[in-house]
Amino acid sequence: MATSQQIKTGYIDYVLTHDEKPKSVYSFVKKIKISKAEFYKFYGSFESIEKLIWAELTAEAIDTIQQQEVWAQYSSRDRMLSFFYSYMELLKGHRSFIVYSLKKHTDRFSTPEVLAGAKPIFENFATGLINEGLESGELADRKFFAKRYKDALWVQFAFLVNFWINDDSAEFERTDEAIEKGINVTFDLFQRSPIDNLVEYGRFLSRNVNFSDISSSKH
Amino acid sequence: MNEQNSIPVTKTERSAKFVKTGFQIGGNYIKHYSKKLFNPQLGRDELNEDNATDIYKSLSELKGSALKIAQMLSMDKNILPKSYIEKFTQSQYNAPPLSGPLIVRTFTRNFGKTPEAIYDKFNLVSSNAASIGQVHEAELNGQKLAVKIQYPGVGDSISSDLKLVKPFAFRLLGMSEKELNIYIKEVEERLLEETDYELEVRRSIEITEACKDLKNVVFPTYYPALSGKRIITMDWINGMHLKEFLQTNPSQELRNKIGQALWDFYNFQQHELRAVHADPHPGNFMITPDEKLGVIDFGCIKEMPDDFYVPFFSLISSDVIKDKKRTIEAFRKLEMIHQHDDEAQIEFYYQSYLEMIRLFAKPYTSKTFDFSQPEFFTQLYAYGEKIAKMPEFKQARGVKHFIYVNRTNFGLYTILQELKAVVKTDTFNPHLT
Repeated sequence: MATSQQIKTGYIDYVLTHDEKPKSVYSFVKKIKISKAEFYKFYGSFESIEKLIWAELTAEAIDTIQQQEVWAQYSSRDRMLSFFYSYMELLKGHRSFIVYSLKKHTDRFSTPEVLAGAKPIFENFATGLINEGLESGELADRKFFAKRYKDALWVQFAFLVNFWINDDSAEFERTDEAIEKGINVTFDLFQRSPIDNLVEYGRFLSRNVNFSDISSSKH
Repeated sequence: MNEQNSIPVTKTERSAKFVKTGFQIGGNYIKHYSKKLFNPQLGRDELNEDNATDIYKSLSELKGSALKIAQMLSMDKNILPKSYIEKFTQSQYNAPPLSGPLIVRTFTRNFGKTPEAIYDKFNLVSSNAASIGQVHEAELNGQKLAVKIQYPGVGDSISSDLKLVKPFAFRLLGMSEKELNIYIKEVEERLLEETDYELEVRRSIEITEACKDLKNVVFPTYYPALSGKRIITMDWINGMHLKEFLQTNPSQELRNKIGQALWDFYNFQQHELRAVHADPHPGNFMITPDEKLGVIDFGCIKEMPDDFYVPFFSLISSDVIKDKKRTIEAFRKLEMIHQHDDEAQIEFYYQSYLEMIRLFAKPYTSKTFDFSQPEFFTQLYAYGEKIAKMPEFKQARGVKHFIYVNRTNFGLYTILQELKAVVKTDTFNPHLT
């Protein structure tokens, strides 16, 4: 009896050997000596195998960092940094497959289809962090915008994975720098900043101007 | 949040930083000359101060190798005017730290374990910054440890940083790119060595072992098993930095003791080991509670080959200098006088370098030397200022080894001056045969 794991391993082995996905489910199941029914019991298509791999890696990274002792001491910013460092470490173990899986996706401006499974997991994780940050005051609660913070982090997710794929530095050190820098910048934007004060000042002025208009019209 | 939010990483961004500094310096000159229109008495000190501040700001934001270069420049007190130095020496103490998760990441990559799993205690907040890394306090089996962690990508960025620093160096030293290249290469080699923490641990152990019998000098124990490519674990040395130490108004006797320890440490290395801790900036030394000199950083070691050591120290500690012919011969070996120099040039450089060597060798000419006397340093500065203005010195002269040997010895002299120490200078003498 085939398991989900066997099919996954068989699939990864196939695409890495042939640098393309199997021509059909039929030829694939024949190759790994299972029945078509067994395949469809676990997966609807080859794409769903890839999606699942991404989703599992993402969940695994989150799980790993939450078990670290320092987790409790970390701020939201640190937690997000920690996620990306662990994630990249995990991806490293599957680099050939990851590169294969993403390089099919050439449109830089949309989210690759294979990440569709990882996205909700990451966003759920990010939303949790953001809410904690908003509560503790680490992040600024801005009308409308606070709800979009997680989107900004997803953009970083896609960017960093892509950066890592093209990183040829020793031990992917440049990716570490990209994480440190990118996540810090993103969280800086989430924090209370001069822009918030500027907006408030503008609001104050607009009220004040109205007031003086009214008072001058009385004369 | 006082952790640094971003480090300019890519070359374009780094260049942007330097370009900005360039503009600011230009601006400072304009400011200076427009003020001077109204106040002709205005000295260049304020201008130098402004420039130094801007360069320092830009360099400390860049961190890493650029900061190291700031430190190097600051050691060359004989070349830079005084106010540059004050600002540059700031870079020897503090630069802002990096995030906790990156530290954990560095550990898991080196050892497959988090710092908590390795040490009994580990403080994620760094206690201070080294120029290419930061230092954390830790504890294992009751021993307090200092754990040095290197920033990622430092090695990568060194070469590109140096390329960016070059135009600055030309302006500061007034040299051409071609001539400066052998020196820049020498600096690059040393800087790259500094990023090799495995090499640093090996050398630290070698040198501290060789120096263990020196009086009043202490070294931390290094732990190779807890060190790796990006991490060094060593004992924590308790004590004060030079500045703090001086603020406690130490007695002359104590100043001399520390000064002597420093002198012995350097001269033992130069003459017995022929390899010297070439980073004598105050941040690398501690004065321990039991009144000893603690030496904490062996990142930069300069080895002196015979073809440099012998001619150079024969000028300093023998009669060679009294004999013009032999002196010129030594200058030739050290490339201070070039093959195709004409008679007039030979005479000119002979006189100029003779003056330099005499100054440099002054502490060696008597059994004891009082570094507190200001005349010696006034002469040094005056000499530096004088040659900086001479067009003849706009071209590069002297073998590349001079960079680090000069930095080491002038650095040593400068610290001894700050200590106002009187030291016995004949404790370790050059071996010339």
